[in-house]
Amino acid sequence: MNENKKDTGMVIKIGHLYPTLLSVAADRGNLFSIEKRCKWRGIGVEVEQIFVKQTPDFTKYDMILFHGGADREMEIASKDVQHKASSLREAAEANVVFFSVCAGYQLLGHYYKPFEGPELKGADVLDLYTEGGNTRFMTHIALECHFEEMGTKVLVGYENHSGRTYLGSKVKPLGKVLSGWGNNGKDGVEGAVYKNVFGTYTHGPSLPKNPWFTDLLIQRALERRYGKVKLVPLDDSTENAAHDAALKLAMDFKGTMSAIEATPWKK
Amino acid sequence: MLTDNSNNDSTASTGLRKARLAFAISAGKLAGASGRFFHIGGGTSLPGMIARRIDPNVLKSVVGASKAKKIVITGSNGKTTTARMTAAIADASGHRVSQNRTGSNLLQGVTSVAVNFADVLGRLDSDVLLFEIDEATIPLAVPEIQPDVVVITNIFRDQLDRYGELYSVARALNTMLEELPETATILLNGNDPQVASFGANAKAKRVFFGLETTEVGTPVPEQSADIVRCIRCHHDLDYKVAYMSHLGIYSCPNCSYTLPDLDIAATSVGLAENGEGPSHIKLRTPQGEIKLEIPLPGIHNVYNAAAAIGAAMAVGFPLDKVQTAMNNVRTAFGRMEKIQAGDKTIFLSFVKNPTSFNLMLRLIALHPGKKHLLLAASHTVVDGEDFAWLWDVDIEEIAADILDAVCSGNKPEELAMRLKYAEVPTDRITLIQDREAALDAAMKQVEPGGTLYIMSSYTPTQELRRIMQKRGWVKHFWEE
Repeated sequence: MNENKKDTGMVIKIGHLYPTLLSVAADRGNLFSIEKRCKWRGIGVEVEQIFVKQTPDFTKYDMILFHGGADREMEIASKDVQHKASSLREAAEANVVFFSVCAGYQLLGHYYKPFEGPELKGADVLDLYTEGGNTRFMTHIALECHFEEMGTKVLVGYENHSGRTYLGSKVKPLGKVLSGWGNNGKDGVEGAVYKNVFGTYTHGPSLPKNPWFTDLLIQRALERRYGKVKLVPLDDSTENAAHDAALKLAMDFKGTMSAIEATPWKK
Repeated sequence: MLTDNSNNDSTASTGLRKARLAFAISAGKLAGASGRFFHIGGGTSLPGMIARRIDPNVLKSVVGASKAKKIVITGSNGKTTTARMTAAIADASGHRVSQNRTGSNLLQGVTSVAVNFADVLGRLDSDVLLFEIDEATIPLAVPEIQPDVVVITNIFRDQLDRYGELYSVARALNTMLEELPETATILLNGNDPQVASFGANAKAKRVFFGLETTEVGTPVPEQSADIVRCIRCHHDLDYKVAYMSHLGIYSCPNCSYTLPDLDIAATSVGLAENGEGPSHIKLRTPQGEIKLEIPLPGIHNVYNAAAAIGAAMAVGFPLDKVQTAMNNVRTAFGRMEKIQAGDKTIFLSFVKNPTSFNLMLRLIALHPGKKHLLLAASHTVVDGEDFAWLWDVDIEEIAADILDAVCSGNKPEELAMRLKYAEVPTDRITLIQDREAALDAAMKQVEPGGTLYIMSSYTPTQELRRIMQKRGWVKHFWEE
């Protein structure tokens, strides 16, 4: 099934923001997921890496990836993203698909105020802000999401953040927390959605084991350029096995702050 | 009062303390012996756990009373082999060594040194105490041990699910180093931009080891490298050469931060082309140049040797027996361990982060022919819960050479998916959680005279090795 399908002639242009600066939890797996699921369907993918000091016109991309990093990397990204912010906002209004994780998600908001240290400005793409907590959510997470084209689906991953994110009125949550802590551990929701801009705390990396969500991002990206598209279904048995295993873990660890501390000694 | 460790010198409480210490050590020894007798494990951390329950000061008391040189080895990768090499050097020059040999490097395992090697009165008959300690255990263990030498091998992104982030581990290590007395020696990997910055304000003497050659390495650090920015000003570092992950010869184009002068430097490194044979190095040391053959393959073992030699020098051991010592070093349990299983060969590698996994993949890639693999990952308190790091492993580099792969452990699904996205055909990937069934299935796929490569996280490595012990392919690891 891995052989290349007939070329559809369609191409997705991806802008990968800070690929070396923000790649803390192997989130390049998200890019692999998008690339391979396109390739297996005969859809071309062009990836441009975007580093600090570069200010491309973000409306030229169909999809933008913006991943996670520790506080020190985030500080650099926060300063730099100010020079990219207006073009990023234009891209968001022009329905470019954004997939942002953790620090990337926080930096698409208004600001991130760490538990200690100065406030980091965001890009104001998403109507939300984040405040650092003195404890860390480090555990398996599962969300229930609903999208018109996909129906109700479960998104699984691993969260590892001390930031508490609070959503404003212009964004909707990505999903309802089934297990884990989500945006702030209080309001029972995780992530944010505005137009085609998606933000989430789910690492894992999350796209490989949530093939339905990868396909949603691919479809939205293609439709922006080519109009209504129906993706060829793939054999997702490997991915779904990983999804179901992660979901089981999330439910087993429900209520724990840190999965490691809660791990029973087991074979 | 029973856990009071203040200086109460009344005879009664001294007697009580001694009695408790003796009881703690005896109970720990008994636990270790029965663990070995009943084959319920290597008996490596249980003695320490039991002894600490009875006397929380057991490690501090025993180590504090000992005149032995105390060496602590920590860092993400290379602890076990560096400790083995250091022990071999000490041994070759006639020193008696006690160490926590088997990678049991959390507080209980470290405490086992005191329990296993001391007599019931807490007396240690050793010249060197060698402690291999997990990075996160350092803040707890170092005050109890009061080491003469601390070796930091490297800090890679490791166990984010345990530590939260890389920098918090680094901060804790740095704090520990700054508290060491001026009589201590800190041995740091100079090629690691972060580790090289440690202890800048320490009272203890800093000694740097590393590589200083362009015969090996790549022009830029690999994707999974963590620290590619300046520790001081956060500007991107320039690399003249990168050896593994972010280790290399670096300088910051923005500020003055650069590789420190190396006290112990491999100025020439010749690695075996077949990925299996010895490396030949020239090592510059304050005592002159040494030419060495290191029997264990790979660039990481050059670092381990340099660190071990640095540690041996710091406690005053002569270097004339280093080659003899190196010849006596065998691969540690599960470190590219070559195992004969009838007419088939197994290479067993314990991998725990992208750096160690990538190192093993690169060594394997040098072996001729297509490869049969057995990969295993388990989520446990030891192995961690988050296996995202598998996506930083460059499976793609050997994907075309993979004939077949069995994925095992209690988390085989992520491994299988990682292989699929490296475009290993799914009909060549088998998922078998049960370790013994997985080993059988993988061995069945190997032709007579062929080789199986096992790469596995900690717990499944132990489990697989136990199965191989049962079959007589390897010895119990506590017998080594």
